[in-house]
Amino acid sequence: MSKRTQIQIGETIAVLFVFFILIVIGFMFYARVIKSNIEVEKEELSQLRSVGIAQRVMFMPEVQCSENNLIIDNCIDILKLESAQNIMNENNIYYFDLLEFSDVSIYQIYPTEASWNIYSKKMEDFKNKFVTNVPISLYDPVTRKHGFGVLKIETLSK
Amino acid sequence: MQDKKSQMEILGLAIVIVLVLIATIFVIRFLLFKTPTEHRQSFISSELASNMLNTFLKTAAKDCSQLTMTELLQDCAQARSVICANGQDSCEYAEESARYIFSQTLDKWGMNYEFLAYTDINQPLIEIGVSCKAEKRSKLYPIPISSATMYTKLDICG
Repeated sequence: MSKRTQIQIGETIAVLFVFFILIVIGFMFYARVIKSNIEVEKEELSQLRSVGIAQRVMFMPEVQCSENNLIIDNCIDILKLESAQNIMNENNIYYFDLLEFSDVSIYQIYPTEASWNIYSKKMEDFKNKFVTNVPISLYDPVTRKHGFGVLKIETLSK
Repeated sequence: MQDKKSQMEILGLAIVIVLVLIATIFVIRFLLFKTPTEHRQSFISSELASNMLNTFLKTAAKDCSQLTMTELLQDCAQARSVICANGQDSCEYAEESARYIFSQTLDKWGMNYEFLAYTDINQPLIEIGVSCKAEKRSKLYPIPISSATMYTKLDICG
């Protein structure tokens, strides 16, 4: 084999080596990009889940106000709250399907201060925690007056 | 002849490098710096201003003949004949209640806002918070009074 041919073979091997290194670097970069995209999508899904749970709680007939069979939006009946707490504890599995790992509390701010925790299911090794506060009217059917409250929904996800 | 061939090869290489650079910039722009869509934040912002205002207006005053905030504001814009148990008139009482409620909610959540109650926007009856300098979510709620219409407006900044 002539010396020139040997040099050409060496050159080809060097070019191929560099080429494969570039391909490996490209794949590593691509894998990182894909991984970060998956993280972003997971975060978006967790957020959507959190919004879904918040909406489910806001429209739960167990706590929603009604008058003459008409549902009042954005309102929670104080008298229903205690019963709802018991019902939710007794039917844990059913409500876990609806509310998953979350903590639902209602705080009355005005005219007096009070709080109720109607559902709580926590996981220990969570990665994301979203807190959603929704101002809500708290109706007392005994006095027929509305108070000002906040519905606080904490959702946890891995 | 040899020089011309080399020049052509260099030009070809330059074009390839430019194309690779453009492709890299696109990859970085669309994949690497993809920010998560804030589904939860947009849900909260859209719900917050309207829920806050609706709930506040429905709320019954603690020691003012159990009148609602709407009724107090109506009196505030007209005769100012209502005097509450603590000696405040309807305007003062509604303003103090609004300040308390907003301090327990929007202030605690670190949100900037502006609340206005007016018949003439240049001379508001109640003004709480500071006006938003950039983006805001706004809710305007008209309240009928005998002479005209009064408005309550809540802007939540950001």
